Amino acid sequence: MPENFTPRHVLLTRGAGFLALWLVLMGPALKDLPVGIVAAAAAAWTSAFLWPARGGLSFSGMLRFLVRFLPQSVAAGVDVARRAFAPVPPLQPGFVTYQTALPAGMARQACCAVMSLQPGKLPVAAEADGTLHIHCLDLREPVAEQLAADEAAFCETLQDGGRNG
Amino acid sequence: MAEFLTGAAFFILAVTALGLFRVLRSELAVERMMAVQLLGTGAAAALVLLGAASTSPATTDVALLLMLLAAFSCAAFTLGQSEEPGDAPAPKGDES
Amino acid sequence: MSALADLFTLVMVAGGALLFLAGTLGLLRFPDTLSRLHALSKADNLGLGLIVLGLLPQVGSIAGGLKLVCVWLLAQLSAATASQLIAGALHRRKSGR
Repeated sequence: MPENFTPRHVLLTRGAGFLALWLVLMGPALKDLPVGIVAAAAAAWTSAFLWPARGGLSFSGMLRFLVRFLPQSVAAGVDVARRAFAPVPPLQPGFVTYQTALPAGMARQACCAVMSLQPGKLPVAAEADGTLHIHCLDLREPVAEQLAADEAAFCETLQDGGRNG
Repeated sequence: MAEFLTGAAFFILAVTALGLFRVLRSELAVERMMAVQLLGTGAAAALVLLGAASTSPATTDVALLLMLLAAFSCAAFTLGQSEEPGDAPAPKGDES
Repeated sequence: MSALADLFTLVMVAGGALLFLAGTLGLLRFPDTLSRLHALSKADNLGLGLIVLGLLPQVGSIAGGLKLVCVWLLAQLSAATASQLIAGALHRRKSGR
């Protein structure tokens, strides 16, 4: 990929990460290690094509995001459970559209994926101009405000604040 | 403790089977695809529980593999759907 | 200490099982496909998360615990992307007609 070259130190960091994952999954047996190194190298090489080098993540932003995301994820499950157990499921499903500032590509897709684990929301389709179609379980809730807050929290995890795909 | 974990595993399997029954009866291919996801999560949970109950760590590997397969088959399904010429309305009762 | 850990496991696993039940109930009762997808991806996922969390005190080794967490992470990832993909496929079919 000439126009999107991944620097060597980034590849090495990723390779180390993949190797760590491999060790967790396979167990730290010395005789298996060569296979793990080959697998980690292959994974790092593949990642160069799939994950642009500039789309870095900010660690503190990630941490703050996790602190926000985990309770939200729990709330999402409890919310669905509450509706499922109710004698008459309190639902008013429907679509809202939301204009995202994130550029098309990986950042937006990741943001959609994260949103789909938030309470009562499920991004369904994204148009080229950044319009997201989002399916909601209950239109009576303040969906737009929640979406804006989610997007802002997500942008903080990207080093450049989401200006770069 | 082992009895409780095994019981929980079978409870989850039963509940998953019930959901599976509902989803698989649907006419929409998309709903049937949800069955894969359902089976992936439910079976992974049951396997992890059984593994803890019988202290055989290898079942965790199976759970991991199942989740992976579920993810891949969902992706493959979606690719197949979008490659279909399919703007034409499918005839009623069409499987896909 | 061990009794406390066992209690934690009991509560978490029971909660997880309850969420799986909720997911299935949602599948049975929610009116349209996309709402059912909500139930599937969110409730079942949290259920698996709680079960993994509850089993963590029961695994003997750190590697075993990390592997369990990997199962959960993979489930999160798979649920998020799969529900996206399924919803996208559904949307395209609808708007294609």
